Amino acid sequence: MDFFTKLKKRMLIPLIFVVLFALAFVFDTPTNIYHGYINILKSPSVLISDYIRIGGLGATLFNVATIILFNIIMLRRLGFKMTGPIFAGVLTIAGFSFFGKNIFNTLPIYLGIYLYAKTQKLEFKSFMIVVLFSTGISPIVSFLIFGTTWPLYIGIPIGILVGIFTGFILPAFSAHTIRFHKGYNLYNIGFALGVISMLYAVILHSFNVNLEVGGPTSEVYHTELVIISLLLSTIFLISSFIIDKKVYRSYPPLLKSTGRLVSDFVRDYGRAVTMFNVAIMGYISIALLLLLDLKLNGPVMGGILTVMGFGAFGKHPKNALPVMLGALIGVTVTNYTLDSVGMVIALLFVTAVSPIAGRYGVIIGMIAGFIHIIITPLAYTFQGGFDLYNNGFAAGFVAAIMIPFLEAIKKQDLEEEKA
Amino acid sequence: MSKQEIKIITKIIRELSLFLIMHGFKDFSLSTKNTKDTTAFIIEIDHPKESFLDHMIDKISREREMEIETYGWELIGDIDDKTELEILGLLIDTIDVKKKADKTLITLVRNNRYLD
Repeated sequence: MDFFTKLKKRMLIPLIFVVLFALAFVFDTPTNIYHGYINILKSPSVLISDYIRIGGLGATLFNVATIILFNIIMLRRLGFKMTGPIFAGVLTIAGFSFFGKNIFNTLPIYLGIYLYAKTQKLEFKSFMIVVLFSTGISPIVSFLIFGTTWPLYIGIPIGILVGIFTGFILPAFSAHTIRFHKGYNLYNIGFALGVISMLYAVILHSFNVNLEVGGPTSEVYHTELVIISLLLSTIFLISSFIIDKKVYRSYPPLLKSTGRLVSDFVRDYGRAVTMFNVAIMGYISIALLLLLDLKLNGPVMGGILTVMGFGAFGKHPKNALPVMLGALIGVTVTNYTLDSVGMVIALLFVTAVSPIAGRYGVIIGMIAGFIHIIITPLAYTFQGGFDLYNNGFAAGFVAAIMIPFLEAIKKQDLEEEKA
Repeated sequence: MSKQEIKIITKIIRELSLFLIMHGFKDFSLSTKNTKDTTAFIIEIDHPKESFLDHMIDKISREREMEIETYGWELIGDIDDKTELEILGLLIDTIDVKKKADKTLITLVRNNRYLD
C-alpha cells in the first residue's frame, strides 16, 4: 500500500501530527519548548487557560502533537478505522490541547473508562467515542493537583482518583444524556461532562476552594495561527481533490444530511468528500473570525480544529452557517460582546446545535444559535470551568428546550410504501 | 440475556414498528426469536415497493459498529423521516428478505453483545 493510500485511510491524521510537531520547532527552541511544556503540564488548565500564554506557541504545538501521537498509537493498537466520529474525536482532542488538555491530565480519565469496560466485560475499544471526547473534563485532574492550595501528596492522589472516577461513570451517563437532547447536540459528552463538572464545582465550592483560576489569552501569534489553520484546511482540500478530482460533485448529498447524532460522513459519503467538507468548515471558521476582526489565540484555534473535526461527524455549511448567524445576531442585539474570548469561541462552538438547522431549517437554526449564545456564559457559571466543552453543556439545554416543541408541531407525512 | 441486551432489543422493536407505521403499513406482524447468542426480528408485511426494500437493505446492511452502538444506542426507537434506521443498521448483523405468495418476510438478526 503506497504512502498516500495509508494516509488517506487515516484521514491525514499522521500528517497533521508531523506538521504540528515540526512547526513547534520552527516557532521555538527545544529549551523553550521544554520549559513551556513543563508549565503546561503544571497548569490548573481550567477554562479558559490559553496554553500559548502559559507555555508559548512552540510548547503548545508540541503538546498538541504529543496528544495526537498518543491517540494515533492507541487507535492503531486497537485496530481502529478512521471513521467520522473517531476523526472528530482526534481533532477535538488536538484542538483542546491548545487550552486545557495535556497527556498528564487525560490519562486518568482514559483509565477510568478502561476499568468500566473491564467491569462490564466489554471491549475497551467499543467505548472509543466516549474515550476520545471524555477528556473534556481533564482540568479537574490538573486543578485538584495544581490549582488548589493542597500539598502535592494530597492533590496528586485525589486528582488522579477523581479523574479515574469520572472516566468510570462517564460511559453509562453519556449514553443516558443523549436522550435529553435526542441527538441534536453534537457535543453530547460535553453536556454529560458539564453535569458532572457542576457537581464537582458545587462540592469544591462548599469546601471553600477558590475556583477562579482561568487566565487571559495571548493574541501574539495571531498571524501564525491563521497560517497554521489555513495550511491544515488546504491540506484537506488538496487531498480531497487528489482522491477525487471531481469531489465537489459528491458534495450536495452530504449537505442534505441533518447531521444529527450519530452521523458518520466518512461511512456515508466517503473520505474524499468528507475531507472536502472538513476543509470548507475550516475556511468558514477562519473567514468568520477574520471578517469580524477577531484575533486568534489558543482557545480560538481549538475551536477551529474542533469545527473541522466535526466536518466528518455532523457539521457542514448548510447546517452550521444558520446557527453561526443566529449566534452573531445574539451578540449584536444583546448586551453580550465579542470582547470576551468565551463569546468568540462560542461563535464557533455554537455549531454543536447544527443538526437543529439541518432538520428544521435556516430560521429555526438561527433561533437555536441565538439561544445558545445567550445560554453559554451562564452554563460556564454553573459548571465551574472543569468541562472544557462548555458549549456542549449549553447546547444540550438548547436542544432539550427546542426539540420536543419542534417535534410536536412538525407535521409527519406518512408515506404509503405498499406495492 | 442481560438487562442491557433486553433494553436494546426492545428499542429495536420500537424503531422497526415506528419505521413500518411511518411508511404506511397498517397490517404487519413483528416477532422475535431469541437464542443465547442471537436475536432474530421477523417482519411480515404485504409486498412493499422495491424502493422501500432497497432503502431498508441499504440502511441495515451496514457493518456493525460497536463504538457507535455503545455511544448512541439510546437514540434507537426515536426516529423521524430524516434519520430512520441510521443507527439501527449498525446494531444488526444480517438482513434477509424472502417473498412468499402474498407476503414479504424480512428477517433481521443481531448477534447478542451483552451476555450474562
